Amino acid sequence: MLVKIDPFVAVFNLSDPGRYIHWGFIQISLGNLVVILVMVVVFVAAILVPFRRDEGKDG
Amino acid sequence: MRRDHSGGSRSFKPDRDVEEFHGAYVPYDLAKEFIVALLVVGLLVVVFAFLFSSPDEAPVTIKSWSMNSPVGFAQTAITELDGTSATANYGPPYNSATPGATQSIGPLSPERWMGVHHPIDTSLDYVIGPLKTLPNRPALDRAIGRYLSAPASMRNAWDSAYEKAVASARFVGGAVVVRPGHYGPVAEMMSALTSMARSGALDGALLSNRQFYQTDYTKPLMFIADGSYLSNLAQARHLQGTQWGMMNETGNYPGQAWLWLYTFWYQVPPIKTSPNGDLEVWSIMMVLTALLVLLPFIPGLRSIPRLTGVYRLIWRRHYRSHI
Repeated sequence: MLVKIDPFVAVFNLSDPGRYIHWGFIQISLGNLVVILVMVVVFVAAILVPFRRDEGKDG
Repeated sequence: MRRDHSGGSRSFKPDRDVEEFHGAYVPYDLAKEFIVALLVVGLLVVVFAFLFSSPDEAPVTIKSWSMNSPVGFAQTAITELDGTSATANYGPPYNSATPGATQSIGPLSPERWMGVHHPIDTSLDYVIGPLKTLPNRPALDRAIGRYLSAPASMRNAWDSAYEKAVASARFVGGAVVVRPGHYGPVAEMMSALTSMARSGALDGALLSNRQFYQTDYTKPLMFIADGSYLSNLAQARHLQGTQWGMMNETGNYPGQAWLWLYTFWYQVPPIKTSPNGDLEVWSIMMVLTALLVLLPFIPGLRSIPRLTGVYRLIWRRHYRSHI
């Protein structure tokens, strides 16, 4: 018996109906909120996490 | 005091001037940084595509609309024939049918300035023209001829009677059924157009243009948007303007989060209900964009980076060792 394997099936399925967060007149999808939070975390990390090669150097 | 380009001198202002750098210089490999960034981003794209794939919604076509909602299609089609649809009364760039339909802020009305440059005559382009392309339909050809040769008052009476009747139509045995009435040739024309739509032929007829590759979907899209089918789908997927839809994607995929400010204005009264909402939002965003572009020249605003001091956090080692 042959089993067909679709190489284009994603590991995580994001095609189900979207989840949204309502706060007053603000509506935001969970996907957008996660991306925005990740961007904030990356921004803060880029400022605060020191480069190892810079240790002991000026600037 | 410092010397300017003309040989004169002026006072030093921290927002405008920078002190000459006297510290040490170190080499930096920009090409290496570019290649490393390219490889990392490329790897992330492949990994994320494998993990999450991408949205793949089936396109909404006139065929899919008329297959899923044949009565809704017929209800919209008659408004295209009698010229009462939203597209028929849109104004520029599609037609100049309704004075005052264009958006404006005082004398500012870009729609009027550009004029009608993508003309759509809904009766001819959406109904009569496509029906005429159907081959070997002598009865339909006679119906179209009868409709076109009738006086305007007679056409209006047929259209009006059919529009009322189709509001309570049913779809039975593959056809839109309306109660008996005086519709002249309109019932036959609408029946033929619905069959044409359900076969997919109407999509093709509306896409026909002078280019080899069909890229102009304006006509079918405007037709579909005149009905409620597309807006209902958009509503269910949180894509409507009133749902911050500009920044949303279908399913659970993240969307265009960077459009938050643009779509934010659509949620704010009185823009939310303004007939000139699009132009008002566009104008606000243009003013804000101009402020951003001209930031170095605007006293006060240009001081924000210096006063907030984030740069001192980024270059904290430098400032620790020099203070």
